[in-house]
Amino acid sequence: MKPMLSTDLNVTDTAVEKAKIEVKNLNFYYGQSKALKDINLSLPERSVTAFIGPSGCGKSTLLRVLNRIYELYPKQSAEGQVLLDGKNILDRSQDLNLLRTKIGMVFQKPTPFPMSIYENIAFGVRLYEKISKAEMDNRVEQALKRAALWNEVKDKLNASGQSLSGGQQQRLCIARTVAVKPEVILLDEPASALDPLSTAKIEELIDELQADYTIVIVTHNMQQAARVSRQTAFMYLGELVEFDRTEKIFTSPREKRTQDYITGRFG
Amino acid sequence: MAEHTVASFDEDLRQISHLIRDMGDLAGSMVGASTKALLNSDNALAQRVVSDDAIMDARQRELDDRAITLIAKRQPMADDLRNVVGAIRMAGDLERIGDLAKNIAKRVGSVGVSTAPRDLSHSIDSMAQMVLIQVQGVIEEYTAGDGTALAKLRNDDERIDVKYTSVFRELLTYMMEDPRNITACTHLLFCAKNLERIGDHVTNIAENAYYVLTGTQLPANRPKQDETAMSAPAA
Repeated sequence: MKPMLSTDLNVTDTAVEKAKIEVKNLNFYYGQSKALKDINLSLPERSVTAFIGPSGCGKSTLLRVLNRIYELYPKQSAEGQVLLDGKNILDRSQDLNLLRTKIGMVFQKPTPFPMSIYENIAFGVRLYEKISKAEMDNRVEQALKRAALWNEVKDKLNASGQSLSGGQQQRLCIARTVAVKPEVILLDEPASALDPLSTAKIEELIDELQADYTIVIVTHNMQQAARVSRQTAFMYLGELVEFDRTEKIFTSPREKRTQDYITGRFG
Repeated sequence: MAEHTVASFDEDLRQISHLIRDMGDLAGSMVGASTKALLNSDNALAQRVVSDDAIMDARQRELDDRAITLIAKRQPMADDLRNVVGAIRMAGDLERIGDLAKNIAKRVGSVGVSTAPRDLSHSIDSMAQMVLIQVQGVIEEYTAGDGTALAKLRNDDERIDVKYTSVFRELLTYMMEDPRNITACTHLLFCAKNLERIGDHVTNIAENAYYVLTGTQLPANRPKQDETAMSAPAA
């Protein structure tokens, strides 16, 4: 069945928006096994796109292709094109370090480095930029403010990042990502290990960040996808089944498979 | 439609849909009984309509409770969400139909004391039959899941509007012919207006039901044929 493409979106505000990332005829393999099948998708700039689908549908795989993090593992390969501002990031000549400054990623489990809160943020910045102490102080503060964590940690910047609560650690990871000034932020189940209040803070943060960044979120929590995203892609068995405005997907999806999944009638 | 993985979710939805059917049946019986009571000056039957309205109100409250609990517990999506929100709205219209039928029934005593012209009763009766067919049909088509029939049924309200205009003119004529008819005719005029309003609620239900079934809205401008504002006598 032909998936709904972003070009089919029957809405002017997304139709006229510039695509930040365009995925074209993407296939992905884990060894011999095909995990993504001919994916075509266009992610609008400064907007949140959610990927939903049952476990093993390929949504996290697709996310991992967008910054080529899959290359850390052997026997994984991607075919097709992923265009970031029109340039194919799957191209061999693509500088991976540069790519990952442009496309940051936050994982399901908070992963603060075993160092101070301050250093957690400064560490990444130092890899790419040489700036003065005063500039770095400012950069750390701005990143923590952007991640809505500053007020909670400003008096203990030298404390270990790992001493923070789970929700704070996740916001620290978002601050770390934001500090290197990315253009795209990939979030892989960013709130699934957090309590409702921390989840609400992360969602509020996502809402604020979309003014400046293109955000892609993978989530199993459908209400979360409905709350935070403007577009939603439903994936199943490595295929993109339907991609449309979020409100359309959650009120009247076109595809029966989408409907069955989001209403809890699967299998 | 496949069952939900959580079976009790299906049971919750079934109860809501059962209540809508119940309220639809009750609305049909109230509309039929109220006009019959009016035309036969049957006070006992009118009284039954009044007490049925209390049952209708209770059903609506029960449906609201169940729907709100379901939303809180299940966070329904897509067709489930449309179903539940649609049910709340349809129940609102059915409850209003009950109120309007009760209003008709409450006039039975007033019309009964004066004599209504025979021909006039006939016109009201045929208008009531048209409305009754619509009330019964809308729930039937919703239950059957027939969107096309609902779209047609919604447009059929035009015929009730035309009928109302003609009853209105007829009543004016009787009143002008013989001032002794004025009391009865005025009451009957209110009844005709109530029947016409019931027709409007049926179109609301048809529109909601269509949206629940298809996920798309019918076009906003439904044909409207009530011309009584034009034909009112000059003051």
